[in-house]
Amino acid sequence: MAFLSKEASLALVQRVHRLIGIKNGSTPHGAPQPRRQRSAPRPGAEHFDVIVVGAGPAGSAAALVAARAGLKVLLLERGEYPGSKNVSGAAFYGSAILNELIPNWWEQAPVERYLTRRVLAFMTAETSVAIDFRTTRFAEPPYNGFSILRPKFDRWFADQAVAAGAFLLNAAVVDEVLWEDDQVVGVRVRRDEGDLRADVVIACDGANSFLAKNAGLQREFHAHEMSLGVKEVLELDEGAIRERFHLHDNDGLAIEYIGAITEEVSGGGFLYTNRDSLSLGVIGQISSLAEHRRRPYELLETFKRHPSVAPLVRGGRVREYSAHVIPEAGWNMLPKLYTGGMLVAGDAAALCFVAGLYLEGINYAIQSGMAAGEAAVAAHQERDFSARSLARYVERLRARHVLTDFASYRHAPGLVNSPRLQNLYPELIAAGAEQVFRVNGGPKRKLLPIALDTLRRANISPVHVLQDAWQAGRSFGW
Amino acid sequence: MRIAVCLKQVPDPATVEVDPLTAALDTRRLLYIASPADTAALEVALQLAGAEGHVSALCVGPPAADAVLRLALAAGATEARRLWTPFLPLQAPAQTALLLAAWLQRGEAPDLVLCGTRSSDQGSGQLPALLAEFLEWPVVCDVTQITLEGDLARVQRRLDRGAREELEVRLPAVLAVEAGIARLRHASLTGLMRAERAAIPVSELDDLGLEPADLAFPAATTRMVTPPRPRTRPIFTPDSTRPAHERITQIITAGVTRKSGKVLEGPPDQMAEVVVEFLRERGFV
Ligand SMILES: Cc1cc2nc3c(=O)[nH]c(=O)nc-3n(C[C@H](O)[C@H](O)[C@H](O)COP(=O)(O)OP(=O)(O)OC[C@H]3O[C@@H](n4cnc5c(N)ncnc54)[C@H](O)[C@@H]3O)c2cc1C
Repeated sequence: MAFLSKEASLALVQRVHRLIGIKNGSTPHGAPQPRRQRSAPRPGAEHFDVIVVGAGPAGSAAALVAARAGLKVLLLERGEYPGSKNVSGAAFYGSAILNELIPNWWEQAPVERYLTRRVLAFMTAETSVAIDFRTTRFAEPPYNGFSILRPKFDRWFADQAVAAGAFLLNAAVVDEVLWEDDQVVGVRVRRDEGDLRADVVIACDGANSFLAKNAGLQREFHAHEMSLGVKEVLELDEGAIRERFHLHDNDGLAIEYIGAITEEVSGGGFLYTNRDSLSLGVIGQISSLAEHRRRPYELLETFKRHPSVAPLVRGGRVREYSAHVIPEAGWNMLPKLYTGGMLVAGDAAALCFVAGLYLEGINYAIQSGMAAGEAAVAAHQERDFSARSLARYVERLRARHVLTDFASYRHAPGLVNSPRLQNLYPELIAAGAEQVFRVNGGPKRKLLPIALDTLRRANISPVHVLQDAWQAGRSFGW
Repeated sequence: MRIAVCLKQVPDPATVEVDPLTAALDTRRLLYIASPADTAALEVALQLAGAEGHVSALCVGPPAADAVLRLALAAGATEARRLWTPFLPLQAPAQTALLLAAWLQRGEAPDLVLCGTRSSDQGSGQLPALLAEFLEWPVVCDVTQITLEGDLARVQRRLDRGAREELEVRLPAVLAVEAGIARLRHASLTGLMRAERAAIPVSELDDLGLEPADLAFPAATTRMVTPPRPRTRPIFTPDSTRPAHERITQIITAGVTRKSGKVLEGPPDQMAEVVVEFLRERGFV
């Protein structure tokens, strides 16, 4: 919010109100959902104060907050254990946020390395130009970010909710939201005698949320709004990791790659260091994967063979491989965030921030989960579970800067996926850098002529460049 | 009808990884499940016991093994109990059977004990027989079918080469079933919640009236045997002197040729020479 004027932030808040949750049945794009067949819970179904669906970071945070307030909380997870269905390695930038919930959480949680080095690399097929940021200030508590392995981390986090009194049930797939009149009053689990009642249902079931759609809060997505991430965990000796990545001890790095690694497909790549493994992967826009008929794992192989990546991953043994969808279009995909008796949080609410140098979902999942938990607690204090009462969830999200972040970066996804940004500019940067550094006996030229020359050769008009610069500024700068 | 089912917790084969150099298991990555033959035994027990019957699930294992007992409770077992002692050696069918027998001999004995014929991890298949021996009950292994008539069990058992054997056994008895003869039912939500909430009682040596010394079986020794490496086989390459179509046929059949014989005629010493030459050519002598 720091860069917004008062008027601008007011306008923003109004927009938030308009777009989410004020009119029943409307979505950000205004397309009303067809009314689905609604069932009511069978008599005798067990009652909980709060049922949280999905034990990812959003669900565990919501369950933890609600259970600490003394509510009877049920946390439902379809996997054999929390995290068993989650794509493995990740960089978690929400340390300060989680610290609010569990002080000094890193002392007890299964973390891999604290991230003190972040690299943004622009790539062409043979070249890479990188911005390398490193600070010891991220090496001090509460740290800025950690590399984590999701199956371990998610399990630990869910255990914290259980320790606070939440009841965790694994191997329970929710199939349906249950209604009485216009109020959500429970869920149906895919098992015999599967009906459960709750005053508040919090949907934290991840990207492309089945529950939000089932409740008519979310529209169907377009292929250009979703990306597919494929990820690998490569086992590598701890000493080799320290040497290859110039690390001291338990510090680590995160590299974000833009450019040729995904070839003509819009997307990017990433690499994070764990204690004795690397997490790496590529993300490709689903529509452009389909258009170019590329398979995601082919891109991952191309990525691993790139001359600036290959020496980093050499000798690594594949331990895990997985794929998952990511909601990418940010602001334009936000569902209606609540209705009577129900809230939506985390990836289920498309609160995943993907824009070039940012790939942040876990921190927003935890923040929105906490906000949903708080809203449920407040609703219980007043014994009012209507949509009006649960609307305070939006206030909490705003207070936690979640909605404002998504609003202020609303132009970023379109820009990041544009072909010029995806391929042309990395090429230009690389070609320019090559001219700057190449020594071949010719005259040493200054930077501006090199830049103009590079642009001319790439056959791109300076007008476009200015347009893109404006777009980039609007998306990331102000 | 009172039935006891013995369940073992084993590594999920999907999570077993062996280091190619040291042949050591990567135990950090293991996840555990109930041994498949044991879950089949549990399903058979639930079917035989019916709605009024009493099925108790038993497991010898550390606290983490509670998971298999919860699985049994969720599916409908009446009660569950874990038996455990830190003195248990790693591979210990005799000790495991002793703990189970000690528990089964306390209180009201069941009419029938069901277990899997062999576990999916170590699979020595000794437990059913040892357990029956301690209980002094009859035992049938490799069971594929059970029907009860009063205190008589009609049992079908698998023999080699697809043969079956039918037997009658007087109860109480130990019956060890094959994996795959029954598939464990899908637990209801109510069952699952009940199982999650249940406290699983544990009995240690004291409670079973045993002492650590009882677990010493001097006769039991385990010897590790590493089989010799199998001889490497050369990869087949077709004979380059043959015409193309023959080489292709050789490749397609992967060099497998029909058995052919050659009848030699002539004086014995000449024939012997041909045989020796034949053997030498093929590297036998
Ligand atoms: C390849 C890739 C890399 C990523 N890298 C990063 C990164 O480095 N840093 C970062 O911050 N974010 C990253 N993200 C995004 C991040 O993974 C998500 O934003 C985050 O996991 C969202 O958390 P969540 O709790 O909302 O959903 P999830 O973590 O998806 O959890 C949802 C849970 O709900 C369960 N569930 C789903 N449906 C049902 C149902 N019907 N019934 C019961 N349970 C159900 C699922 O099993 C799952 O456990 C990445 C994503 C991908 C795909």
